[in-house]
Amino acid sequence: MAGSQLKRLKATLKEQGIVGPQQSKKQKRKAAQDDRARSEKRLQRGVVLEGIREQFNPFDLKHAKNPKFEVTTNRPVTAAYKIKGRPGAAKAASEERRRQTLLVDMQRRHKVGGILDRRFGENDPTMAPEEKMLERFAREKLKTHKKTSMFDLEDDDDDAFPGEGLTHGGKALTFDDMEVVDDYEEDDLDDGASDVSEREMQRLKRVRAMAAEGDMDQDDQPERKKSKKEVMEEVIAKSKMHRYERQAAKEVDEDLRAELDKELQGIQHLLTQSSSRKTEEKPQPSAIAGVERSVFDKDFDLQVKKLAQDKRAKPSDRTKTEEEKAEDESNRLKELEEKRQKRMRGESVSDSDEEDEDEEVGSEGSQAGDDSEEDFGLGRGINAKPTAAELGFDDEDDFIIDDDLVASGSDIDSDEELDLGSDMAAEEDESEEEEEEDEFTKGLLNEEETRNPVFSLDSTTKSADVEKGDENGLPYTFPCPQSVEEFQSVTASYPRTSLPTIVQRIRALYHPKLDSKNKERLGKFSAVLVAFISSPWDPETSPPFSVLENLTRHIHSLAKSFPLEIAQGFRTQIEEISNERPLAIQPGDLILLTAVGTIFPTSDHFHQVVTPAMLVIARYLGQQVPQDLADHAIGSYLSILTLQYQKLAKRYVPEVLNFALNTLCALAPTSPSASIGSFPRHDSPVSHRAKGASQVSVRKLGFSDCLHTDSSPPEVKIAILNTVSQISDAAADTWSSKGAFIETFGQVLEVIKHLNAKACRSHLPSELRDRTEKLQVKLERMIKISGLSRRPLELHHHKPLAIKTYVPKFEETFDPDKHYDPDRERAELAKLKKEHKRERKGAMRELRKDANFMARENLRIKKAKDEAYEKKYKRLVAEIQSEEGREANAYEREKAARKRSRNR
Amino acid sequence: MAPKAKDVVAKSKRKRASEGEKPTKRRRSSSPEDENPGDKILLMEQGILESKKNYNNIPLLLQTMDGYKDGSEESVLAAVALCRVFMRLLAQGSFIYKKSMSEKDSVVLTWLKDQFNLYKTTLLAVLATEEELSSTALTLCMRLLKAEGEFLYDKEEYTFPKNFLQSIIVALLQTDSDEVRGVFMQEYAEGYDDIRYYTFISIKSAIEGLVDFVSEAEVFGHALSMLSALDGVPESAEELEDFYVPAPKKKNHNLRSVTQHKRQGQEAWLALTGIAKSKEQRKSILNIMSTVIAPWFTKPELLADFLTHSYDTGGSMSLLALSGVFYLIQERNLDYPSFYHKLYSLLDRSILHSKHRSRFFRLLDTFLGSTHLPAALVASFIKRLSRLSLNAPPSAVVFVVPWIYNQLRRHPTCTLMIHRENKDPSIKKHIQNNGVEDPFLPDETDPMETGAIDSSLWEIEQLQSHYHPNVATIAKIISDQFTKQSYNMEDFLDHSYATLLEAEMTKNVRKAPVVEFHIPKRIFLPHDEPTANPDSLLVKLWGFQ
Repeated sequence: MAGSQLKRLKATLKEQGIVGPQQSKKQKRKAAQDDRARSEKRLQRGVVLEGIREQFNPFDLKHAKNPKFEVTTNRPVTAAYKIKGRPGAAKAASEERRRQTLLVDMQRRHKVGGILDRRFGENDPTMAPEEKMLERFAREKLKTHKKTSMFDLEDDDDDAFPGEGLTHGGKALTFDDMEVVDDYEEDDLDDGASDVSEREMQRLKRVRAMAAEGDMDQDDQPERKKSKKEVMEEVIAKSKMHRYERQAAKEVDEDLRAELDKELQGIQHLLTQSSSRKTEEKPQPSAIAGVERSVFDKDFDLQVKKLAQDKRAKPSDRTKTEEEKAEDESNRLKELEEKRQKRMRGESVSDSDEEDEDEEVGSEGSQAGDDSEEDFGLGRGINAKPTAAELGFDDEDDFIIDDDLVASGSDIDSDEELDLGSDMAAEEDESEEEEEEDEFTKGLLNEEETRNPVFSLDSTTKSADVEKGDENGLPYTFPCPQSVEEFQSVTASYPRTSLPTIVQRIRALYHPKLDSKNKERLGKFSAVLVAFISSPWDPETSPPFSVLENLTRHIHSLAKSFPLEIAQGFRTQIEEISNERPLAIQPGDLILLTAVGTIFPTSDHFHQVVTPAMLVIARYLGQQVPQDLADHAIGSYLSILTLQYQKLAKRYVPEVLNFALNTLCALAPTSPSASIGSFPRHDSPVSHRAKGASQVSVRKLGFSDCLHTDSSPPEVKIAILNTVSQISDAAADTWSSKGAFIETFGQVLEVIKHLNAKACRSHLPSELRDRTEKLQVKLERMIKISGLSRRPLELHHHKPLAIKTYVPKFEETFDPDKHYDPDRERAELAKLKKEHKRERKGAMRELRKDANFMARENLRIKKAKDEAYEKKYKRLVAEIQSEEGREANAYEREKAARKRSRNR
Repeated sequence: MAPKAKDVVAKSKRKRASEGEKPTKRRRSSSPEDENPGDKILLMEQGILESKKNYNNIPLLLQTMDGYKDGSEESVLAAVALCRVFMRLLAQGSFIYKKSMSEKDSVVLTWLKDQFNLYKTTLLAVLATEEELSSTALTLCMRLLKAEGEFLYDKEEYTFPKNFLQSIIVALLQTDSDEVRGVFMQEYAEGYDDIRYYTFISIKSAIEGLVDFVSEAEVFGHALSMLSALDGVPESAEELEDFYVPAPKKKNHNLRSVTQHKRQGQEAWLALTGIAKSKEQRKSILNIMSTVIAPWFTKPELLADFLTHSYDTGGSMSLLALSGVFYLIQERNLDYPSFYHKLYSLLDRSILHSKHRSRFFRLLDTFLGSTHLPAALVASFIKRLSRLSLNAPPSAVVFVVPWIYNQLRRHPTCTLMIHRENKDPSIKKHIQNNGVEDPFLPDETDPMETGAIDSSLWEIEQLQSHYHPNVATIAKIISDQFTKQSYNMEDFLDHSYATLLEAEMTKNVRKAPVVEFHIPKRIFLPHDEPTANPDSLLVKLWGFQ
């Protein structure tokens, strides 16, 4: 386009039809009359002018840089090359924003207090008085709407417009004529349930719409003018009416409901008849019609609650046949076994699974039909076993039975396998966990409730008279011990054999269902029990093993509800052992470790309790050099325990063999040659060789052998030798499938051969000789078989690793804007870094602009001040000058006058 | 002890100062009856210093001092007083022979020197025998030593009272009090370069002179404790600036040379190793060999005999000597024939249980770090270690396995031990029918001849089912794909049962642990129906009454 800017502007304006040839008067009039066309035209004109302005001020817009040559880039030419920003507008906006925020802050700086201007529209000349009123109304409403209730007609007036009633056309509004139904009906429908603020908003919207309508009206028919106030009143009146109507509708509903209530009895009757269950309470046929309302309500509520609590009618399950039950049982066991296997392999069981499992463990542990643990090793023997009901027992039921037996004065060790147990177990077979728990408590309580009412009461409010006890002199109530000392002092006065009964009663008394605090109490109590069974063992004072066994089983049963507390209890004990006496394990600790082995699954790859326990055992076996026979005996016990731990997982424990071989060598009648085996040899300071013991009878080791004494009777030595050779035997069975069986048990064979050599044979009893000879034959056979099945290792059947390639990877459709980082984390990090950088830059720019703005403002203020000062100064100077001038003039005049007079 | 002695000295000094103001008055006023022994001694001391006529008080004081055997308090005071007297006399130059002296004077001088020597011997006797007083005696000795070094001879020439120090050292070696030795080493020998220098010389000659001593073991222990306290080897001549006796003026004096200092240290240590006869003594020397002893040696070859002898002894001694031998081989080109042979023989049944095992394995890792070693030799080490790990504690298995991994990475030929495929159908068939014999010869001593390279690591495979979860996981790295370049051995050394347990116990139990769902009927007692529920192993093998 040629020519100057002005010429171009003119041309453009003409082109767009904004300026054109002069119109005739006629045309003008026509255009003025065509109102609609005019406004449209005006609009269009605005748009066009805007466009022209933009076009003629290229610096208002910021454009992205165009590529120099189209061919050199593959960036899409769309969008990115268009307008990137409006620097002028942006600058103005930011300036304005600063003026509103920063400047205000600046001016308010160092100032305290002040008046907050809550007025609106004062400074807004565009706001019409009507709009102002509307706004005021809305604000007022907003302020008060929370206080008033939805259906409160009366005080609404006082609140919203104090001292002023609603009027319509100058008359006060009345709501006598209820038949007036206006156009709010459709709103009414969905308004019913919505909350207040929403309603408020809707009303406001309506109000505005009406106001707009009013404007339109105003434009169209200026003669029928309705004041804004009137409009408002109308609106309010309508909304009130609308509200009133809703209330009326609600009342109608209430009536209907009341009617229904009256008929409820009939319905209820029908319901009770349809369900197979019998409800206990009798229907009250005549009660409703005549009764007082409050009584009726109460009754009704009661009924509803009862209905809610009642078991929902369900189609009862078909009674399962024995085969089906057995199948279910076997399925359940299979599932459990699978989970155990998974844990054994160390695979992570997913969280939900775990929970599931926990739940199952919790719930199903108390179900019927637990086969003995050995079955899992075989895995497939479940179906061949007799059915669940024949074998099965609910573990928790056991304790109920126990309780029963003890309560009726019979011996604790008597036969537990009563038919009762299996019956109950069968009954509870299908029940859910919670119900199971319920049953358990009920069972416990029912047993005793018949004899003693205290169990139904709160356990804390006990009276002395109930502590009279049963026929054995054992009271029914005990405090819940929270420490070992407390437990010991509580139980001190009763025979040791009654401990399980006491524990049973405490568990029943403080069942978590009875009191919310009981859960905590029982949790502590279970930790106390753990500490109790591991307290030092003494042949005289310690409870017999039948009792310990029972206590352990109690702990096991408690562990299902308090796994964390009990695990923590065990871990504290284990920690104590490892810190205080790692190489001097006491018989009490042996009981604790045994309990660990039964309560927790020892086959897990990792277990919070079993793994430390196993380490404690291995440490003793590996590092303790036995000083006397008691050490040997403890070691033997721990070895047996270890083998029992590893019964399913069959993990290799080197320390067991080291200990066994060392013990065999140390106790053998003659010292073996130095080069026997490759296990580390301990040199016992005192010789305990079993010499000349051929006449000694072989017996089992017992706990009393674990106590350190000075004597070393030959039968203990023979017992240890016997036990350790049995341990070696069991170890060979456990680890028969290991890869290095030959190397591992070759040493055992050598030592056993040494025991069977002539020098030793004569010293040992025949029973032991038989055993070692059998063991030798067995080991020889096993080693031979293991040799036959041995293959060279082929551990690395992996896919061969690819050689690293250095050829760059090409993207088919490469986009330079995209990042092709294969490392997700790095890519995300880069993204984050970029974002951070951008934000940082932005923040810095803002701060810089703020500073600029402030400097500018300060300068402006200073300038204004200076100017004012200058002005004032000048004014004063001028004033003085003028005054002085006048005086000077006067003086001059005076002087001249005097001169004149003198001259005269 | 030492501060107490100083206290005594200080107190007496103060007393003397206050006395000095009115000495005559006091002497007159005080009658001999109510004089306490302390005052008497002080008077005597005063007299000696005032005039030569009172020199006869010296033997009297010496006599008093001899009373230390009866434990009299005066003896201490007398000793302190005499010390002051002699120091004063030394400072006055009364001990220096001048040509101008008359015959009478020279006789007095000789007599005085005799007295001085007598005093020293008594002091040393106190130092050697009396535990209570020894630290006081030591302080006095050292003061005299200083005075003697400064004033006994003409000032022109540097003289260190070597003989006196030698006697002090001998006395120290004999005394049973570790405390006084500690005081000497801490306050004097470590602090002053000249004392240290002459201490080395004295210890050396003392050890050589003491060979036919009564309790050699005791002297060895004392000498070792003294020498091992001296671990601050001077690095440069600038460091040699702390001198107890004023330093020699000459710049090229032996005392100013680092090499001379080192030499004396070396000589002393050599003398000590010479008398180390028993195993324990040798072990204690080997224990500090690399940290304390070696820095003193300018010629470490001199240790070769001792080290190789120790290394050949076997057992833990060899382990300790190993690092020394390795240093000599590496740095001094020591030719140790069949080093690996010997190293292989160190891998015995107790190595993985030894408390020095981490130290040993750090070295073993270095020795077998070369990729140029024959594969057969490396295979032997691998196989031997995996055999031993069958009976090892978890803390040992934990580093054996990564070590084996590293070796297999370095010697890919050895990977046959973990992966061996036989393509030959006849061999395959043979294996199918008869299994494989392990070609490894565990009793062969030559690592090149064991045939380990033809064997397989079944042991490691077995350890993959170790009871400790972490150990089992570590053992599994052998059968995983070898993607890692190598494992850092430092991460795996220095574990023990205690640390493993601690690692377990510090973890908090947050998630409820799994509980065995089945509550067994019987734990300790036999089942009622043994056929239906077989008894557990525990019940079978253990009698619970």
